[in-house]
Amino acid sequence: MRRMSEPAPDPREAAFLFELIRARYGNRLTPDQLEGVRRGVVAVVAQSTALRAVRLSNADEPVQRFVPFRADA
Amino acid sequence: MNPVFRPVRELSEAIRARRLSPVVLTETFLERLERLGPRYNAVVTITRERALGEARRAEGEIAAGRWRGPLHGIPYGAKDLLAAAGAPTTWGAAPLRTQTFDTDATVIQRLEAAGAVLVAKLAMVELAGGMGYRQPNASFTGPGISPWGADAWSGGSSSGSGSAVAAGLVPFAIGSETWGSILSPAAYCGVTGLRPTYGRVSRHGAMALCWTLDKLGPLGLTADDCGLVLEAIAGPDPHDSSAADRTFTHDAGDTAGRRFRFGVLRDVAEGAEPAVRAAFRHSLDTLEKIGTVEEVTLPDLPYDAIARTILFAEAASAFEDMIESGAIAGLTAPEDHYTPYARDAVLAKDYIKALRLRGVVMREADRVLARLDALVAPGRPATAPPLAGEFRSLHRPALDPMGAIGNMAGLPAVAVPNGFSESGLPTSLQFMGRAWADDIVLAAARAWQATTDWHQRHPAID
Repeated sequence: MRRMSEPAPDPREAAFLFELIRARYGNRLTPDQLEGVRRGVVAVVAQSTALRAVRLSNADEPVQRFVPFRADA
Repeated sequence: MNPVFRPVRELSEAIRARRLSPVVLTETFLERLERLGPRYNAVVTITRERALGEARRAEGEIAAGRWRGPLHGIPYGAKDLLAAAGAPTTWGAAPLRTQTFDTDATVIQRLEAAGAVLVAKLAMVELAGGMGYRQPNASFTGPGISPWGADAWSGGSSSGSGSAVAAGLVPFAIGSETWGSILSPAAYCGVTGLRPTYGRVSRHGAMALCWTLDKLGPLGLTADDCGLVLEAIAGPDPHDSSAADRTFTHDAGDTAGRRFRFGVLRDVAEGAEPAVRAAFRHSLDTLEKIGTVEEVTLPDLPYDAIARTILFAEAASAFEDMIESGAIAGLTAPEDHYTPYARDAVLAKDYIKALRLRGVVMREADRVLARLDALVAPGRPATAPPLAGEFRSLHRPALDPMGAIGNMAGLPAVAVPNGFSESGLPTSLQFMGRAWADDIVLAAARAWQATTDWHQRHPAID
């Protein structure tokens, strides 16, 4: 596991994701609220960028236990 | 005896010796909840009828020699995200103020089996703060107020659980923590709060915010009381697959002479409010009386970003219906009307990356904690914020590495009072331990409280 130097978030990514959200919910939000959502998307992209800057090994599994289901087990 | 501000253990001894009537005790706290609860916006529903029924039953059983244990006849309050039959369960949200459930949450059932008396459903931040609120006025019952200051927020999301214990409205309360929701009100209200190991306590019947982060735990006047309550509510539950097949026995043994090994993350109090830093420095000196304190380090990782990604993704899914339908527009906090939409920007790949990093954090935290009894840190980096204004910004959320690590790794922590600011607001110290070491962090907190008297100071109320 290595943390690489963190690149600045790509503003285009935030812009595209914001457009997606605006297309879905824009008709119910005021301009001020949309600006709040845009800032929220920028924060999410910054947070994702921080995660992507850490290199993991192939064997680093997600912590998410999957258990096959059987009602009588 | 005046039962207000007495630890559960003392009340219990008086009840068992029949020097204190559970009915009279319950009536005392019902009266305080009715009279003082509104002052702190601490209460959603007072369960008077149910409480008096449970108290009369306790009194009869004890008189007949059937003592169930240390919670028998003790009144308590439950955060209003726990289902209780016969009362609304509002999750703090205006659109859900008439929501009811037919059965009790497992925790309520277990407390009833232990003989405890449910006197109130306590106020909380709407949807346990999961929509991203940034200021205290985020519940249909109004902003929670700390009994230590008329303009001081109680913290959240277990707001009423913290303020009700601090104001002597209940001897103990149940809260929940996804990230900070027990430790924050414990700190801002100057009481003791226990965040148990993830999986220690069943969440069946509790509102889900983030399935892999949610925990239920007690707030009380002492760490000993929190241990008594944890023993009653812990254990496996067929209705909650996360509830581990482990029972918990509270060790109330004398901690005198016991030496603990404490660790402090480098710069953990950096950026904290001056009063918090001063109290923490003083606490480190005091901790030397009961153990050793050493500086430790963890790898440089984006702890907050990892925890926040998990929280955003799971909360967006847990409340998908409310968000997609636009029902969040009926919530109290204006920012909760739109903030959740931005979480559509969390990509599946990034959520999985966060879960992979979570594994790394769990292993690294355990590597450090394996040599220690507990990591210590300020319970919160600040004293209670004022009721008006934002306590965090959308752009730059306050960094909370202990909270991020502890919650994403499911680690137990106890917050205890450790001082006051110049303006009379409490500060807090937290002990965080290895997974399943709830007994050790409680022992450390009990040793702390045997050495200090911060937990015996109470706000002027009446």
